[in-house]
Amino acid sequence: MTTREDGDVTGSATTDSAPVRTTEEEGLLPQLVAHLREHRTRLREEWVGRINGAHLLQAMTASEMVAETTSVYDNYVEVLETGSVEELQHYARDLSERIIPRGVETHEVVGIVLLLRDVLARSLFEKYQGDMHVLNRVLDAYEPAANRIANTVAVSFVDERERVIRQQQDSIRELSTPVLPVRERLLILPIIGVLDRERARQLTEQLLTGIRTHRAKVVVVDITGVPDVDEAVANHLVQTVDASRLMGASVIITGLSPEIAQTLVTIGVDLSKMDTIGDLQGGLEEAERLLGFTVTRGGEAGGP
Amino acid sequence: MTSSPRLFSILRQGTCLIASIHTALDDSQLMVFQRDLVERIGRDRARGVVIDVAALDVLDSFATRTLRDIAEMARLRGAATVIVGIQPEVAFTMVRLGLHTGAVSTALDLEEGLAVLGGRLAGPAVGGR
Amino acid sequence: MPAPEPAGGVPDGLGSPDVAALIPIVRRIVAARVPDPATADDLVQETLARVLGAVGRIEPGMLEPYAIVTARNVVASMWRDQDRQRRHQHRVVDLRPSQSPDEGILAREDRVAMTEALTRLSERERRTLLAHEVSGQDTRSLAAELGSTAGAVAAQLNRTRARLRVEYLLALERVEPPTGRCRPVLIAISGGDRRRQREVDAAHHLLECELCARLSEPLMGRGRDRDDEIRVAVRTDSDVVAARQAAREAAAGIGFSPTELTEIATAVSEVVRNIVRFADAGEVLVELLDHPRRGIRITARDSGPGIADVDEALRDGYSTYHGLGLGLPGARRLMDEFALASERGRGTTVIMTKWREVG
Repeated sequence: MTTREDGDVTGSATTDSAPVRTTEEEGLLPQLVAHLREHRTRLREEWVGRINGAHLLQAMTASEMVAETTSVYDNYVEVLETGSVEELQHYARDLSERIIPRGVETHEVVGIVLLLRDVLARSLFEKYQGDMHVLNRVLDAYEPAANRIANTVAVSFVDERERVIRQQQDSIRELSTPVLPVRERLLILPIIGVLDRERARQLTEQLLTGIRTHRAKVVVVDITGVPDVDEAVANHLVQTVDASRLMGASVIITGLSPEIAQTLVTIGVDLSKMDTIGDLQGGLEEAERLLGFTVTRGGEAGGP
Repeated sequence: MTSSPRLFSILRQGTCLIASIHTALDDSQLMVFQRDLVERIGRDRARGVVIDVAALDVLDSFATRTLRDIAEMARLRGAATVIVGIQPEVAFTMVRLGLHTGAVSTALDLEEGLAVLGGRLAGPAVGGR
Repeated sequence: MPAPEPAGGVPDGLGSPDVAALIPIVRRIVAARVPDPATADDLVQETLARVLGAVGRIEPGMLEPYAIVTARNVVASMWRDQDRQRRHQHRVVDLRPSQSPDEGILAREDRVAMTEALTRLSERERRTLLAHEVSGQDTRSLAAELGSTAGAVAAQLNRTRARLRVEYLLALERVEPPTGRCRPVLIAISGGDRRRQREVDAAHHLLECELCARLSEPLMGRGRDRDDEIRVAVRTDSDVVAARQAAREAAAGIGFSPTELTEIATAVSEVVRNIVRFADAGEVLVELLDHPRRGIRITARDSGPGIADVDEALRDGYSTYHGLGLGLPGARRLMDEFALASERGRGTTVIMTKWREVG
């Protein structure tokens, strides 16, 4: 690797001798981009005025506003110039990452991009209004690109927002169903609060992966703090117990309220096949017994 | 004489066989696995078999049925079977599908599986001989 | 890296002025589809070699279109090979068929069919297509010439390509479709236009019309071009694995949980196994959905004997082969929506959907 120029000369100059087409159509977009660059300051200010007028992005300070709008403007024009979707997506993701923490809403982002589209379109209209033919062609070139930018920005923003929200929800859920390794091979899952379908699903995944991670042989699920469950969730609990068994672990359920027991019986669960113990203390004793039994195999088969 | 040796392996450890499946198997490959393993159980006079399915991302009705068949044939030849390594998602899906391993034992992993077999094989040995 | 091939340095034998003139076009077509320059170069050379081999049999005016089509075929067959390799990579034994001796004959038939197909397009369609594909004229300037918009021209080009594919297959098979519905259905499938497919009731027609069912297979294979749907042809046990892996990958892309991914893969496994067991061949379509929520839809279709008693087949414990009788009912439990349609002697279609949980 010596100088770059050398490489370029031998590399591309000889291969790509295909003539570059210079139709007047192709000249339009660059011309348009040059116009938008030339009047950058004026157009950007006009845009900010429109944003303020529409009461958008009010969570931002004046200097943040200048910085963001300048960067959005430049990126916007650059995307118009290159037409690169990839760059556009990059830019939209970056933008979203920056402004979501500031509490910016979806309609605001879509709003400012549409305003910018409008401000620029008006400026093009002013410049070319003398020649309807050229104006039409300029707008034909501009509009699809501008619409694409607006769409992509909106989609990226929504995706990014969703991702952030999901992340927050996940961490809340994890906290609400702790998996506690009390001792080797023994896990406790105290569940407090309403068990809806989504939380039951989370519970299952945490319990089963917990078994693998901690190499648990016994899991005590304490549902003293669960008021009631519907049939779907009760079913889910039973399936989780069965799945744990397939992974070689026993599940003991403690704190089963009469209401939940009733639901389980209603959906046809044979409670005698489920290991249920009145309270957590009893559950832990049973767990110890199971573990002791497994470790000193064949010891007191009869138990106490 | 496995036609595709890298799909699974069958190793002998003492009186036990350790059969590990290395990758997703289609139905024909599962049948080859069953044939090879059952044949080895007979040839080696194995007392126990551990089948490691940790590499399987799906245990559907056919695969489960095959594992149960293997265990049943092994039992008829005097060997106990333990299935190990069922992944959390796979275990839950099996239950949702309505599948279970029947009378076949399951354990977390190879080590646990061998421990289960050890306990099982030690039992009769104490009273039997 | 191969030395760059200047237009003058064509290997001996390609000196024929006609063929040499094709080089820039071929290069452009290949480069537009294959980013890697070394691979592109190989494909250009292969295309030129094939064109040269055919020079004597082609009318002078058809040489250019022929070169275009050949270039695209060469690229497509590379994709096909890669695709097959991907589908079979879990196999230890390479099952790719070796080159058969009649490949030359097939290639010749291929050429004749394509020439024939091109003549079946209207003058305007052909002219626009060639201007775009051969001369590289862009849609905007074409639109200006035709007094239309760039978008309309692009759409027209897509329709023309869809027609060309259909006419090509018909010419290759030397058949004329038995009913008036065949062409519209095939073109809708070829264009990948779902709305149009519904309008012409394509799915139902495919169950009825043997010819279209057969011809539609290669046309649907083009689904690879779209990233929100995947098609897997199903013939053997290994395709069951390929189908469920494809579904799992697609579902993973839109954020299903590990358990849900396994449920989807398992349901696909159960349903697709039925195709292999009871029908000779079929196809699985995996689509990603956006409305009303994000989700995945799997359509498994075969043209087998059909299921005599659908209700019975969906009952737990019903099994006609070595299974637990939990295949179809189990798959139904694992998915959110499940529909099965079967006609005796015609085939079976299973459509099942799983939605992402909101939140």
